[in-house]
Amino acid sequence: MAGRGGGGGRKPRNFATFRLFPRAGAADPNDRVFVRVDNNDYSVPGFADEEAFDSDPTADFHSSASGPLPESVRREILELGLPDDGYNYLSHLRELRPSAASSFVPSSTARPEPLPLDVKAYDASRVRVAPSADELDEGKTICKVAAKTAPLRKVQRAVDPDVARLLDESDASHAGSEDEGLEEDFVIMANQAEGDEEVEEEEEELGNGVFSDIEEEEEFEFEDDPKPRVRRLLDEQFDLLALEEYGDSDDEDKGGRDGDYEMPSEAIDELKLFHNQNVCVDDEYRTPADFVRGKLESTTADEVDESANVIRKCAEYAERYLNEPAEEVEVVLVSESSDESEVWDCETIVSTYSNLDNHPGKIETPGNRRKRLPKVFPGETATTNDIIKLHGKEKLPVDYLPQRKRIAEKEKKVKSAEASSAEKIKKEAQKETKEEKKARKAAVKEEKREARKAKKELKGLYKSETQKAQKVAAVTGPSSIRLM
Amino acid sequence: MAAADVAYAPPMKAGKAGFEGGMPEVQHRIRITLSSRNVKNLEKVCRDLVTGAKGKKLTLKGPVRMPTKVLNITTRKSPCGEGTNTWDRFEMRVHKRVIDLISSPDVVKQITSITIEPGVEVEVTISDP
Repeated sequence: MAGRGGGGGRKPRNFATFRLFPRAGAADPNDRVFVRVDNNDYSVPGFADEEAFDSDPTADFHSSASGPLPESVRREILELGLPDDGYNYLSHLRELRPSAASSFVPSSTARPEPLPLDVKAYDASRVRVAPSADELDEGKTICKVAAKTAPLRKVQRAVDPDVARLLDESDASHAGSEDEGLEEDFVIMANQAEGDEEVEEEEEELGNGVFSDIEEEEEFEFEDDPKPRVRRLLDEQFDLLALEEYGDSDDEDKGGRDGDYEMPSEAIDELKLFHNQNVCVDDEYRTPADFVRGKLESTTADEVDESANVIRKCAEYAERYLNEPAEEVEVVLVSESSDESEVWDCETIVSTYSNLDNHPGKIETPGNRRKRLPKVFPGETATTNDIIKLHGKEKLPVDYLPQRKRIAEKEKKVKSAEASSAEKIKKEAQKETKEEKKARKAAVKEEKREARKAKKELKGLYKSETQKAQKVAAVTGPSSIRLM
Repeated sequence: MAAADVAYAPPMKAGKAGFEGGMPEVQHRIRITLSSRNVKNLEKVCRDLVTGAKGKKLTLKGPVRMPTKVLNITTRKSPCGEGTNTWDRFEMRVHKRVIDLISSPDVVKQITSITIEPGVEVEVTISDP
């Protein structure tokens, strides 16, 4: 194609070869570029639109060498904390997409007082505020400020000298001088209304041992006031409510209640009666009725009277109970189980059996599950046992193999032939011993021949099976079994 | 007579009317080589290119079919050496078509940008006419 150069020497290579490749990083497969694939000097000015190494992958059409960056770009750069020096740092940024390979793990090296995430700190010590507010152009002032400020990563916590002083000194000596806030013994003080004496005693005891001198003085000061807190409306309401809810207690202070529960006086009287009696019996248990009827000895006459009293009272109460209006009576139904109504059903009776003694079995249709074998097999007569017999070198279940029809027929024929010949021989009463022998021997030979043939056929059929069995036996089986 | 003159005008190829004006752009000889493993796609691309070039009235030398190269790999099927010695025969067929044009590079760019099927590789060689 190209013109040949004059003799000797290579052909002048005046051609350029381009290939169509899909554009790098493009999702669309139809976005292709011509890429030069040869090294010749020949240049085609209009063809190769983009060189591979000069490609501009970003979508924005600002060239980096152009003048001042557009405002939006500058603002974004500033927001990220990068300096505003005319270079487009955004081109170096990459979005952090969460992926399996890369995940953002903040550094674990502890910094003294790092900034919380929602706070950004800048060192603006170098910013000069314009003395005259001639131009309040936001963009320009932002840029001016930004040019002078530098971002900070850690900020020293601002500490007041007073606070610092306080923190430096020990805690104990300062606790007392604080007039505000909770005292350490506020619980004790809150309980002062109930028992002044007790509290005072306690405090005196404690004061000697534990607290320092300063605190002692304070507590004694507070003891002079009977009620340090002003009684509020809420307190009154609470007291009223407590009175309503929890019965009567005439005392103002609830702490003065004794621990015993007050029983109604009638019950106490009755119990006193019983307490007098000798309830602890020596030998037998004696009811009041026994005393009344005089069957047993009674130590005192009082006992008899008391017992009679008790019985009478019981009767009274019973009557009273009966005579109460029916509405108040709660009818409680108790279901009795009588012997006649108890009829056991299978499920309940069976559930009382334990499986340790009782071994239930599942009822199945008989026979079909175990042997999923083809219907026609001649060895059916022999399969009365549960044992499957393996015969031959291949150890196959001979009785269950399907392809035994022809051979079976042949065997039958042979057998029938045998039977008939045997009959003949018997009839002739052992006349021709030679022929008989010959026939017999021939039959046996025939049988053996057939058997050999059948065996060879079977072996050929199942060669792959023997191979598999060999593999298995190589791992598991004993080496004495020879399979092939 | 005038009619005869007119009738006697030498037969010119239709569609070459603009030839007298001369092409403002430089003409090159351009060879487009299309190769693929898939004949159907390849033929389709070929057809499209040819129709495109003919539409632009370019001198075209129709798709020249190179003999297909068949790459064969014949391996044993078995991963081990055991068993009957069966062999796999794998082959890969590469078809190649060549189209020659005389035109400017821009036109070619236009044509090739339109149609492409997946699996077809396009190579363009530009040289002096």
